[in-house]
This record gives sequence, C-alpha cells and structure tokens, in this order.
Amino acid sequence: MFRTFAGAGTLALMVAGAAVAQDSQDHDHAHEGDVTLYRLFVGDHASGQVTAIDLSEPENRWSFETTGQTKLFPVAGGAVVAAVQSDDDAVHFFSSGISFEDHGDHADISVTDPEAFEASLTGPRPFHLVDHDGKIVINYDRGGYAEVLDSAALARGEIDPQRFPQSRAHHGFVAPMGASWLSTVASDEEVTGDASVPRLGLQAFDAEGNATGDLATCTAIHGEAFSGAYLVAGCREGVLTATASGERVEYEMLEYPADLPQDLTTGTILGSNAIQMFLGNHGPDGLVVIDPVDEPHFTRIALPFRRVDFALDPVQPANAFVLTEDGSLHRINMLSAEIEQSARVTEPYSMDGHWNDARPRIAMAGDEVVVTDPNAGLVRRISTEDLSELGTIEVEGTPYNIAVAGGSGVIH
Amino acid sequence: MILRILPALALTTAAARAEPPQVVATFSIIGDIAAQVGGDRIALEVLVGPDADAHVYEPRPRDAMAVARADVVLTNGLGFEGFVDRLIAASGTDAAVVALTDGAEVLEDPAGGHYHYIGDQAIWHAGAHDPHAWQAVPHARAYVATIADAFCDADADGCEAYRANAAAYTQELDMLDAEIREAVDALPEDCRTVVVAHNAFRYFQEEYGIAFLSPQGLSTESEASAADVAGLIREIRDTNARAIFAENISDTRLLDRIAAETGLELAGTLYSDALSGPDGPAPTYLSMMRHNADTITSALAAE
Repeated sequence: MFRTFAGAGTLALMVAGAAVAQDSQDHDHAHEGDVTLYRLFVGDHASGQVTAIDLSEPENRWSFETTGQTKLFPVAGGAVVAAVQSDDDAVHFFSSGISFEDHGDHADISVTDPEAFEASLTGPRPFHLVDHDGKIVINYDRGGYAEVLDSAALARGEIDPQRFPQSRAHHGFVAPMGASWLSTVASDEEVTGDASVPRLGLQAFDAEGNATGDLATCTAIHGEAFSGAYLVAGCREGVLTATASGERVEYEMLEYPADLPQDLTTGTILGSNAIQMFLGNHGPDGLVVIDPVDEPHFTRIALPFRRVDFALDPVQPANAFVLTEDGSLHRINMLSAEIEQSARVTEPYSMDGHWNDARPRIAMAGDEVVVTDPNAGLVRRISTEDLSELGTIEVEGTPYNIAVAGGSGVIH
Repeated sequence: MILRILPALALTTAAARAEPPQVVATFSIIGDIAAQVGGDRIALEVLVGPDADAHVYEPRPRDAMAVARADVVLTNGLGFEGFVDRLIAASGTDAAVVALTDGAEVLEDPAGGHYHYIGDQAIWHAGAHDPHAWQAVPHARAYVATIADAFCDADADGCEAYRANAAAYTQELDMLDAEIREAVDALPEDCRTVVVAHNAFRYFQEEYGIAFLSPQGLSTESEASAADVAGLIREIRDTNARAIFAENISDTRLLDRIAAETGLELAGTLYSDALSGPDGPAPTYLSMMRHNADTITSALAAE
C-alpha cells in the first residue's frame, strides 16, 4: 500500500474512528482506518487547465495543462480521469491518485497525488466516451472509428488503444455488449457544409467492425447509458433498448407514449447503478424516468425552468439532482417521479445562447453535490440532504466541467 | 418481476383488522416458506419468481417501490441476492430486513477468502459463505423459525397464528427430511456422486451424503474455465459419477459438452435456486425438495 502525503501540504484524510479502527467484517486483524476521500477535477471553460482539488482539504490542489477545453470523465473505477478535448482532437488522462482494490466484503483504498499520463490520444474530434464492462471506448466523430482501451490496463497507466472501424464518420458511440460491439450507424447520404451526417440506428459488430447483426432503427440516435442488463439510447421514435441474449443482441423500441408532450425527444441519458432504470432529458424543460422492462416505460417530470445539468446519486440511488437555468438545484425522487426539494444555489444562467457557453455543471461526491459556478469562479458544495450550501471552493479561471473520483475504503 | 400472493381474505376479516403486514421475499423459495408461515395474514410480494436466477437478477423500479412500502423484507443473505443491498438503499425502506441464513449454520465458500500482504505479513481475510442453505431441510426449519419471529415482531396480534402455521409446516419438513434420508440410504455407498451446473447443493451433500461435482462456483455469475472443465471431467471419471443434471435456472450448453465427453446423459432437471411455475414439478419448497431427491436417487438407482 502506498500513500504519498505530498502536494500543497499534508493530505488530510477523513479517518473515521481512532488510529486503529474496526470494520465489521470477518477479519482477523484491525485496520488503520476507514477513509473517505473525494477529489474533484475541474476543467476550465476557456483554457486547457484542469485543477484537481481534495474536497475536504481544498488547499490540496494540483494543476494540469491540456490542449483545450475538456469534458472530464472518471473511468476505470475512478482510478483515472479522462479529459476529452473535442475541439482540439486530443484525449489526456490523469491518474486520480485514488484507487480501490475490491475484496468482496470491503475495498482497500490507496491514495497518492494525481498525475498526468505522459501518453495521450489524438484523433479527429473525440466526443462520446463509454466506460463499460472493462472497456473504455472513445468515438472520433470525424475519424470514422473508435478507440478501445482496456480499463484495467489504463488504471496501470498503460494506453494501448485498439481501433474499431466504422463505415462512415459521424457523431456516435461504440459500446461493448456481451460478446458483441454495438456501434451507431450513419446514413450514406451526402451532406453539405457543417450539416450532421444522419444517424440511422444501432448495430452489432465483431471487434474488427464486421457486422454480426441487423441494423436496429433509431433515427438520430444520441445519448447512451447502461443500467443493469440494458443499454438504452434516445431516438426520434422513442428510446431503443439493447440487451445481450446469449450470443445475440435483442432490441426493443420503447415509443414515446401519447400522453407525453409530443415532438420532444430524449438525447441525454444517465443509467442508475442500483436499480435497472434511467433518467433522460425530455425536451429542454423536462426529464423522463425510463423503465426498460415494466410499463409505464416513461414517467415524465416537468421542470420549472430549462435544464442546465443533471446527475444521479449513487449513494441514495432513488435520487437525482437537476440544476435549472434559474440557478435552482432540485432533488428528484426517481421512483415517485417527483421533485422533493428545490433550493437556489447559483445566480441564474440562461440557456439562451450557445450550447457550450459557460454554465454550471454538477457532479456527485458522497453526500454532496458539487456545482461549478463559472461566473463566480467557484465550486459550490451542496448537501444532498437539505440542499444547503456547505461551503465554496475558489477555482482559478472559469470552472466549468467537473468530475469526481474517490469514495470510501479501508487503509490497513 | 413481482409476484403478488394476496391473501384470500373475506371482506369481514379484512375489515376486522388493520392492513396485513406487507412482506417482500426476494426469491421464490423463501417466498413459498413465508407464505406457509404467514398464511392469509400477510400480503406477500416475491421479487424473483419461478425459474429465475436471483444471482444475476437486476432489480426494477417496481421492486424498489415494493420494498419501500414493506413492513418486512425477507432475504436469504450471504450474498445470494447480489442486488439486495442496492435495492434496499434505493428504496429508502424502514422495513425490518431479515436475512434468513442468520438463523442457520452456514458453510464457508470453499473458494472464498483471500490473503492481504502487509509488508511481509500474510493476513487471511475470511471469504464468503455458501448461501444455498435451503438445500438441506434442517436449514429450512431454521428459516421457518426466523420468519415466524419476524412476523411476530411486525404483527404481534397475529403471532399465535404464525407460530401455529410454523409448527404445522415444520412437521411437514420433518417428514420430508426423513423421506430424503431414507431414499439416499437405499443407494449403494459407492454410487452417490452426481454432476450439476453450479455449486448449489453443498448443503444437500453435507446433510444427505450425495456428492455433487460442478464446473461453476457458488454463483451462476462465475464462468468455468477450460481448466475447470478438464479437471471436472477427470474428477467425474475418478469418482465414478453416475448422473448429470440440468438446473432450471441455467442453460445446459456446458453440461451437454461435459455429458458428451464423459458418456453420461442428462438425467433430469434439478431445482436449485428457484421453484418451478405452478404447472411444473416444483411449485413449492416441499415439492421442490421431493422432486430433486426423487430425480437424483432414481438416476443413481438406475443401472
């Protein structure tokens, strides 16, 4: 076990209990302590700067330079943070410095300083990143291929991408599904200027990109998420579900029901890690809980204002949080499909303007929602329990995208 | 998948007392045992139904809602229902969550446990336990007692009825236990080894003396390696295993391969981790254990 207490001062760990803490498992020795540590990675809106900050001791911070604006993803169980720079054709990786070793009845945590990987990926417009079933897949929207990384190897610092070819470059995704690879498929119709290549649906392939199944129609497919045995994606017709059945993939189109507002679609979806269900957007001012098995498949939640960002709570899996453009954070119970509580946490950020204007982003860190507030130069720490502000963390520049690594484990 | 087993209450009876205790059982086998103890006093919902595999079940929103409104949640425990902790967390339930194996003497997973190395010191962390305790009738008796206690805690007015139901059902379990022992005792001593897909019958083995070989571990989530299969085939030959059985929750492709390589034929289907549907041979715990014992002993007795 290695612990490096370096950086901007001693890394303070939230050690529960005394120096020799006791866990409740069938162990024949005591542990040094139960440790909870969350580390924020905050990407700047204007530059390629990424700042790593320990939530509990924010003076412990590290700064990294990338090529351009980053979308940040915790991957490989949070051991690594991927920084996808779509406008700058690059993907950088950082060791989060926090990793876990699962022992079934508990997980050991090890903590070091975060570090930037020396190697990075480059390619034409990397965009969607899928982290599933031990694979990390990055789609290159203007390359006509995806690159597949092994999650465990990446956690060890090894970047050895395997290329998955697509018949035509498009804004899509590739994901593992059982023995197959699922890829979005684009039409071969000609487009002019900056027009998007039309997307037709989802299809199963082998690892070399040879089709092994028929195209499942999902017009303008966008927004993929996994939960339980299902992958779902948003389409113009509804939401497409895919699940492995032996060597095959079974699809079902869940059509938007007539009692939902019409002409609205789902294009951004998150999957629960606890219950087989999803939360997606439904138009700009609605969310929809998606149950892939039981009816009703869709339960809509109307928001008071347009949605800025939303996240699922892995600690209280019935809960989701959504920030709306009036600056309010809402806690949603996905089982009852109701807004349980709302509170103003930032100044208003209008959704008028460019989609990529600097607006808040949210992420979960244990029993806190961390909210970037670009105009204030802050990360706000909000209690999941009562939505009160627990504190703020100053971040240089214009804090924008945010990812969180960490959790609780045992140090022996 | 939720099966609702609502009590056939007369309206007058329902009106005479408060709402029946809401009971959730995680899978079909303990659902049936709970129904025997609770009788018509409880409203029972079973999450993982007949012929379905609780090892790999993915809970649905309606399961979380059922758990949320429950007074008592009955689980097997010991990691059998891999979904149950996250389901309970998601539901936010304040129900009494009762693990039935807490009242049983359980076996350790032979493949469980692991070493930590702290410096030069090797530290043993005990591993998981085998969760399939219901495969020996004495453990089912312990389940019954634990369920009766849980129902009494939730519904003191019904305690007398629960205790009476438990006592009557325990008598049936005693008869079942004796039947199985008698059937196995009638087999030649050197003719008591069989093959199943996953290692779900160690309690049956310990209690009744039938040896089970299996390519998979305790969970159907595990996958047998080529080396596991090759080793099993050697073991089948070395131990003179006489019969190979399918399981209702598993596909038979791996067993078909093993049968082809060893010259054994599939001798029937055992119900390991789930009951059959109502039209099958094992719709209750009692019928399941009788079916399994009959299937095993008939195959071993045949020559």
